Amino acid sequence: MKAFRFVRPSNGREAADLLASTKNALVHAGGVDLLDRMKERVDEPDVLVSLCDAKGLDQIRVEEDGGIWIGARVTLAQLADEATCRRFLPTLSEAAGLAASPQLRHRATVGGNLAQHTRCGYYRHASFPCLKRGGDSCPVRAEGGVQDTAGIFGNRDCASAHPSSLAPVFGSLDAEIVVRDAKGERLVPFAGFWANPAKGRASDTRLRPGEVIEGVRIPPRDTKQFVGYAEIRQKKAFDWALVSCAVRYETDGEKVTSASVWFGSLAPVPMRSVAAEEALVGTVCSDKSAAEAGARTMASATPLAGSKYKVALGKVALKRALAAARERA
Amino acid sequence: MPRRVTYEVGLIGHEEAKQGVEGTEQSLTVEVEDGDATPWARDTKFAYVGTDVTRLDGAVKATGAAKYTYDIQPQGLCFAGLVYAPHAHADVVSVDVAAAKALPGVLAVRSFAAATATYPGKIVAAVCAESETVLSDALAAVRVVYAVKPGPAVTEDAMRAGAPVVDPRRQTNVSGPRRGPTMRGKPDDALAAADVAVSATYRTPVQTHSCLEPHGCMCHVHEDGTATVWASTQATAFFANGRFTRALGVPRNKVRVITHHMGGGFGSKFSADEWDVLCAEFAQETKRPVRMLLDRRMEHLVGGNRPDSIQEMALAGTKDGIFQVLKGQTWGTSGNSSGGGAGAANFMVYDLPNLSMTQHGVATFSAKGRAFRAPRHPQGFFALESIIDAYAYKAGIDALAVRMKNDKHPIRQAQWRIGAERIGWTKHRHAVPGSDKGTIKRGTGCAAGRWAQAGRHMVGRSPLVFEFVVDKDGGVAVQNAVQDIGTGTRTLIAVLAAEELGLKPHDIDVRIGDTRYPPGPGSGGSTTAPSIGAAVRNGALRVKESLGGLLALQWGVDEAQLTWKGAVCHGPGDEKATFAKACALLGEDGLRVRGSRRRNFDAAYRETAGCQFARVAVDTETGVIEVEKVVAVHDCGVIVDSLTARSQVNGGVIQGISYALFEEKRTDRSLGDMVNPTFDTYRIMGIEDCPEIDVVLTSVVSGYSNTGMMGLGEPATVPTAGAVANAVYNAIGVQVTELPMTPARVLEALERRQK
Repeated sequence: MKAFRFVRPSNGREAADLLASTKNALVHAGGVDLLDRMKERVDEPDVLVSLCDAKGLDQIRVEEDGGIWIGARVTLAQLADEATCRRFLPTLSEAAGLAASPQLRHRATVGGNLAQHTRCGYYRHASFPCLKRGGDSCPVRAEGGVQDTAGIFGNRDCASAHPSSLAPVFGSLDAEIVVRDAKGERLVPFAGFWANPAKGRASDTRLRPGEVIEGVRIPPRDTKQFVGYAEIRQKKAFDWALVSCAVRYETDGEKVTSASVWFGSLAPVPMRSVAAEEALVGTVCSDKSAAEAGARTMASATPLAGSKYKVALGKVALKRALAAARERA
Repeated sequence: MPRRVTYEVGLIGHEEAKQGVEGTEQSLTVEVEDGDATPWARDTKFAYVGTDVTRLDGAVKATGAAKYTYDIQPQGLCFAGLVYAPHAHADVVSVDVAAAKALPGVLAVRSFAAATATYPGKIVAAVCAESETVLSDALAAVRVVYAVKPGPAVTEDAMRAGAPVVDPRRQTNVSGPRRGPTMRGKPDDALAAADVAVSATYRTPVQTHSCLEPHGCMCHVHEDGTATVWASTQATAFFANGRFTRALGVPRNKVRVITHHMGGGFGSKFSADEWDVLCAEFAQETKRPVRMLLDRRMEHLVGGNRPDSIQEMALAGTKDGIFQVLKGQTWGTSGNSSGGGAGAANFMVYDLPNLSMTQHGVATFSAKGRAFRAPRHPQGFFALESIIDAYAYKAGIDALAVRMKNDKHPIRQAQWRIGAERIGWTKHRHAVPGSDKGTIKRGTGCAAGRWAQAGRHMVGRSPLVFEFVVDKDGGVAVQNAVQDIGTGTRTLIAVLAAEELGLKPHDIDVRIGDTRYPPGPGSGGSTTAPSIGAAVRNGALRVKESLGGLLALQWGVDEAQLTWKGAVCHGPGDEKATFAKACALLGEDGLRVRGSRRRNFDAAYRETAGCQFARVAVDTETGVIEVEKVVAVHDCGVIVDSLTARSQVNGGVIQGISYALFEEKRTDRSLGDMVNPTFDTYRIMGIEDCPEIDVVLTSVVSGYSNTGMMGLGEPATVPTAGAVANAVYNAIGVQVTELPMTPARVLEALERRQK
């Protein structure tokens, strides 16, 4: 790890100002992902602008309009344990509680979880070629590449898969990302937050230099919401999801009137399945309609030889997320 | 004069095991040398041996007070690190260390420009610096130019005709076949004539040792010309080898090696490695203490691995379940050495009148394999035990019955019954595999294991000696250089000394892991406990003899008239003295005596037996396997501390399930480097994935030594993968023939079944 300067602004505005006036600075919150990258020298910042002293960013609060604001430095353990989150955002609580290990959940933050880089082994080790690190092509796709964690959508240029299991939940809840820079704060719709892989683009977000995630806002709902989450992974703890899926839908008392379906670990960025949403609307939510929605989602999948199994897992995750939503209701 | 002793050996523990088992109890006559304690027999009554004794170092390990190599940080400590090749095969064209050397705080630099790198992890430069930050910058500043060449890094690629060869003196990467004693009868004829024959190809992955504490050491050359080396080693006695001491510039007798505690070895840490030699060079050159520990990626790349295997197996027998022939061909890579390979030892459990095992090593452009907890066994038993289940289903006979018919070991016969009872074999085993209903299918399976280590009486060329230091207040210290690899060696010594002296185990001061004490054995091959056990007894015997001599003098009786009952010595009349009272006669000088390990006897039980049963739940939609319960039935000769023994078996089972379900070194076949050299991508089983583990120890007096102990560390992990695989087969009705049994492989197998 290269030596760096560690600065601790006392709020988000100061952090944004520091970022604007500092060259080669990165934002630090829990450091779970960032320090790994720095140790590998995949990132070599001169300055870390840490949010560790930033006031208020470690809070979850219900806003006047009933929306919920979650600070960037809120830990996964807080999401899993705090009553507000458990009561109003049960799928977020569930996903956070399943992630990583107890130690990591106490360290890892919401901001870091959204801004984390891919866990692809090729990206993480500077000795491998990698499109995201400026290489000409993605070695995962090449002959001999190890593909079992690879994405099965949007993988033409880069076969990485976005590791966040909170992201599909935020997506399903129509979250907005609260982004701050020196000029002020703005709300970015969740779908617009992500950037597809490109040569030399390491980050999977559209955050620009000088911008910091201050929090996430979940809009209020005045109608009954059905929400469900499911993830499939090998180990019960300290493992990455092979596939995760979060759903939210509304009904007219019988049939689905609107639906939101998001997947993690299937594409380089969190993936919304409009095909699944369209398949669900107008049906009575059931394993049968789930199967149809899964089949329609996967119809456009482009798996690699080593990641074919994710097609089946994706369908199962969707089915289980929908079943969880029905059960919770 | 050796004395002739006749005593009873065989099963002592476990009433359950003894019921209905005949032939385990035997009378054995042995020649016992002078100075060797009279062997413990089946009817010996123990105070502590075989009971639950908590670890002597449990508290310091739990609180973090225990000091490992990393924790030793003398003033002025410097830090050394490595630059290593990321390529399977490359010429090192140039290594430019100028920029690294120029950094303030860099003390010494080495480069190896002339080298050809034939594996990822090959060292091309090394740096010693005053701080870890400077070290990191210096390592990053080293510029290496490689000319990358083709070099197959995985077994199948290296086996192909025309593949680049690792050893330029050879035509092919494939060596062998080695046959030797693994050929008997007429296997091909037997195969052709058999009633029921099955064949399949099984594959196992390269598994890395993944010790939590990395390889390495801290070298401190003192001004007086001596040196202290704190090392994470399985063999303090052998760590400071010739190359290492030359690098250190200190003669071997002045090098003290210390390993008070270690965070895992599993066979990968027997001697100073090339990075340790570099550390020693730096310590000599800088005249400062220097630490070199591998990073996690290097641990995975070069810190040791279990060879993978491809095993083509054919098994045939009669329709009523008697094996007639096993025919196998195996290939496996031990990295860039020609030896090693799959080398299954699996044919040694069952009676096989016709046998052919042909084993090949395959050289690949990857770092050498190292001995790994039961070398060759887990992979061999996975394939053997899998093909037995395939045979049993085809013959329509219960797989456990098939095993019991073909296994003649009397102890294992008892173990099969105990295990079957405890797992609920008759209730849970499906006669038709895959017949469980629903999405989550459960299944039950079993597998055998074996091992055969009774310990040794020598440490290299030195006799194995334990020194007892007793003071006049009755304090007893036991000293030997042997390290505690983590299994409880320290505690085991205390139990044995306490048993012999009539004291309490936690009152014994066990001083180990330090070469200033008499040489101790390496912790490997499951030989440590059976090697040292008998020597500890003999040392304790010397203590009693010495104290007896003083008491006899005081009481005016003959030494031969004394008897010890626990910690009390009785004379021929009503004279008696406690151990503490006797020690008071020692005066200020105290007592310092040594007991040595004598040769093994010609034993009754040459092999330890074991078997394991597993019950799993397989999610047939996702392919995710959960192991719900494992029953592990093992003998290891006489059990000394049943708590640490069970802990050993727990560890073996956990490592075995991890091998069956999770662990796999993934290598890019074009680029040749490992893509998952971190603990979040190289999956290792965690606590939440641990099943209920029911450990049953069948204590057996083996007859090998005065304690009758045998090794346990390795056999505990031998049957696990096979038992889990057979439980999965029983659950889903199709065999997953490749480890680890990942969701992808399970789903693929299920798809195969549907077709």
